[in-house]
Amino acid sequence: MTAVLILVFRALLLIVLLSFFGWAIYTLWLDLKFQTQSLGSRKIPYISVLQENESVDNKQVFLQAELRIGRDPACEILVDDETVSNQHARLWYRNKQWWIEDLLSTNGTYLNDERIDTPTILISGDEIRVGKVLLTIEIQQQS
Amino acid sequence: MNRLLLDNRSPRNQIQTRLLILAVIFIFFGNLILTFAPAVRLHSWQVNYRWQHWIGFVAWLLAYTTMYTQLNKRLPDRDPYLLPIFAILNGWGLLMIYRLDTDYGFKQTIWMVIATLGALFALRLPNLLTILRRYKYVWLISGILLTLLTFFIGTYPGGNGPDLWLNLGSFYLQPSEVLKFLLVVFLAAYLADTSQSRLRLMQLLTPTLVLIGLAVLILVAQRDLGTASLFIFIYTLVVYIASGKRRVLLISFLLVIAALAAGYIVFDVIQLRVEAWLNPWLDARDRSYQIVQSLIAVANGGLFGRGIGLGSPGVVPVANSDFIYPAILEEFGTAGGLLLVGIYAILAIRGLYIALHAPNQYQRLLSAGLTVFISTQSILIMGGTIRLLPLTGVTLPFISYGGTSLVVSVATGLLLMIISNQAEDQPAMINRTTPYVLVGGVILAGFSAIALLSAYWGVIRADALLARGDNPRRAISDRYVYRGNILDANNTPLTANVGPAGELTRVLRYPELSAVIGYSNPNFGQAGIEYKLDGVLRGITYNTPINVTTTRLLYGQDPAGFDLRTSLDLPLQQSASALLDDYIGAIVVLNAESGEIIVMATSPTFDANLLDEKWSQWIEDTSAPLLNRATQGLYPPGTTTSGVLLAHILSNYTPSSAVPAYTWNTTPGNEFFCAIKPGRSSTWGELISGGCINAITTINKSSTLSDTLDLYRETGLFRDFELPLETSQAIEVEEVSSYRALFSGQAGILVSPLQVAVMNSTLSNGGKVIAPQIAMAYKKPDQGWTLFEIEAGPVQLDHFDAVKAARELTQGNFQGWEISSLAEHEKASISWYVAGTPPAWHGTPITLVVTLEDGSPLIARTIGRELFLEATATIVE
Repeated sequence: MTAVLILVFRALLLIVLLSFFGWAIYTLWLDLKFQTQSLGSRKIPYISVLQENESVDNKQVFLQAELRIGRDPACEILVDDETVSNQHARLWYRNKQWWIEDLLSTNGTYLNDERIDTPTILISGDEIRVGKVLLTIEIQQQS
Repeated sequence: MNRLLLDNRSPRNQIQTRLLILAVIFIFFGNLILTFAPAVRLHSWQVNYRWQHWIGFVAWLLAYTTMYTQLNKRLPDRDPYLLPIFAILNGWGLLMIYRLDTDYGFKQTIWMVIATLGALFALRLPNLLTILRRYKYVWLISGILLTLLTFFIGTYPGGNGPDLWLNLGSFYLQPSEVLKFLLVVFLAAYLADTSQSRLRLMQLLTPTLVLIGLAVLILVAQRDLGTASLFIFIYTLVVYIASGKRRVLLISFLLVIAALAAGYIVFDVIQLRVEAWLNPWLDARDRSYQIVQSLIAVANGGLFGRGIGLGSPGVVPVANSDFIYPAILEEFGTAGGLLLVGIYAILAIRGLYIALHAPNQYQRLLSAGLTVFISTQSILIMGGTIRLLPLTGVTLPFISYGGTSLVVSVATGLLLMIISNQAEDQPAMINRTTPYVLVGGVILAGFSAIALLSAYWGVIRADALLARGDNPRRAISDRYVYRGNILDANNTPLTANVGPAGELTRVLRYPELSAVIGYSNPNFGQAGIEYKLDGVLRGITYNTPINVTTTRLLYGQDPAGFDLRTSLDLPLQQSASALLDDYIGAIVVLNAESGEIIVMATSPTFDANLLDEKWSQWIEDTSAPLLNRATQGLYPPGTTTSGVLLAHILSNYTPSSAVPAYTWNTTPGNEFFCAIKPGRSSTWGELISGGCINAITTINKSSTLSDTLDLYRETGLFRDFELPLETSQAIEVEEVSSYRALFSGQAGILVSPLQVAVMNSTLSNGGKVIAPQIAMAYKKPDQGWTLFEIEAGPVQLDHFDAVKAARELTQGNFQGWEISSLAEHEKASISWYVAGTPPAWHGTPITLVVTLEDGSPLIARTIGRELFLEATATIVE
């Protein structure tokens, strides 16, 4: 009789141990899922770029987290002008900010008429000059 | 409890609280089972329950609830997995230690309290990590100095062994444990401080190499080789993580191989460990005793374990520290062991996670280093006990007995929790990520290998391991479980189980039967019927598998054994033993019809109850008292085979009654030699009965030598009987030069007295060849007797006139036929006397054989006749 009771306890013991392990693994998995989802669903505020001599209808809106400006057709923001380098500058989103840096272009990148040589934060309404082309940046306001 | 669970709102705390509650339930049930374990073992409620471990449980509960509340106050953002893991490991270890040895349990409880108090104090230091970093040299050098002290005032708490401990009154400190921890702290601090310098890696590492080299040298000199190798592993992995240079791994690997090779030559300990690892089975009783016993313990656990307090992990040496993992596997099963390994794996994953999220390089290296330290040490010792790696005598963190080890484990845990409390969502960039991934992968691979191998020993190889002769669990089970008694033909018990349950001892009531009944002894194994029919006496053979499995599952024991009835007749057996007492030889009495062995005596013999005192004396005794001469003694049969030949001859023709008047004499070697001198007017029968070689060769006109050998074969002279006794293989020859050689003993044929008895029983039963048997029936606890099935019935011989032969061989007033013989073989003269009842006997037909190595045929006849008369008078069907 004792033995049967103890057998039940032994089974319980293993089940509790399994629950301990299982709960730890389950919550670790939940954490992994949560982190993946939060990375996947993280909203990037839209950024739009308007080139100087183009109409407002040609305003380009981007959803990506990283954009390149240049004369190279591979660039997301294609600026067809001789004063613009192939890969001229880079825009990217990190730490809830849009950043810009110059990609060692020939004629330099200017933000609101100041030449930039380190990564710099962009805000809505900023004007970027690459070569002789002026770009106006608009960033979606986050609620 | 309610107040404790109040700050339960964040998911982080919810995880932690649930895990802690599960840990408490787990440890509580473990303690509960341990309390009731004696009742299960003894199948009774009237036992001494175990209570002492509840002190440990209460202390554990208090320690970890205090820790929990204090940590909630001071480290609210710590990793939620760490504290529950430390709690369950520590509680589990404490429970196992109490289970193995209550005194050690008390000591470990005190160490746990000390460790907790130390941790609570350290929590109040606001800049513990900075202090550790700033005085890194002080810590490491004082650690080394402390270890150096063991050279001068070191002791070994257990008696004889390496002097690795410092005696602190009633407690012992093991400085090398502390040194491991300090090494990690030093390395993290040093490498973080110098990571910005532009020195080359070698220059950078020189100071650390000097210090580590010194520490390793001290450890090697102290023969603490396990810790020394652990040092090298930790150093290598931490430097690799810090530098990201693969060649660190390569160089260290080559160094370890070289050190191992050198150590293999210099230290016999390493030789022993490596050999025991590569092939433990060769020397399982001595050099690889520990590892083989450890594997048997794992096998005994099976999949679900015996239950705490219900296994026998104590038979593995140092089960409470080095071999605590197999102890856990035995009592919690492979299932429990795998979960334990899984918990260590979670700890390793969290440790590396904490390292990745640490706010700076120092804390990152520190937490990675501590994780490497805990994980490699766990892998080394767990792997060592299940033959994944050579054995290294280190402790299993948090679980093994050892105060210093526990304090260091708690300190490690505390630092990990402090660092995890400062984890950042956006931690600093890591230059080289590969080392973290690689180190994590290696650690997890190690744990996986341990899990797989544990399952291999505990499930797949379990039966083979448990069946090994050096598994002491059978003998332990015998102290608790009724072993079937062996009875004689009249149900007189020949054996007894003496003592209270838990201390049962097997006793042979009639020691003169030792050679036949044998023994079942915890130290010397088993022999005789006790050995051959162990399965029946243990209640396994003839039991239903479900019954056996259930008993094993419930009690970890075999079911109650079955009584066994033999064919032996105790009074006759005692007479035979008494008659034989002064001589060297054997007596066999068979029931000639059924083959039942009524008497089997051998002399000199031993006493199965006195094995412990006299084993070595008997084993060295040249007269071989442990031998059962009736079945294992091999002798030339001489003219004992002539009766059978006579029966064959008489079935073909009747020899002339005229007997040549030779001068029959008893001079060995003479042409007219007789074992017993015949009277003046002798008949053929009298001459053959007297063992006159010339008589039987003269009257044989029909049988060739090869026919005769065939006849012997048919009558079972060389047969290997299926008996629950140790038997020797008869020596049979293909060709014999002459009948004289055959009957004088020079032919080279050697048989046992039992085989002679079986052959001659054909004369008493009319020419039927019977199979001898000694085990007749078994009795299940609450049922009647069940007879053993006999495989084949007797075989009737053709051309065999047993009636005539028996009549010829019967002389004077004696009621049975008789044959005497003196056979010579390699300087030994063997005297035989064979007698039997005539075929038309009104009572139980018997055949009797007396064999003497040191008596004359006359003495053999005197003994045999006396026993024959007693047997025919007492055995009534």
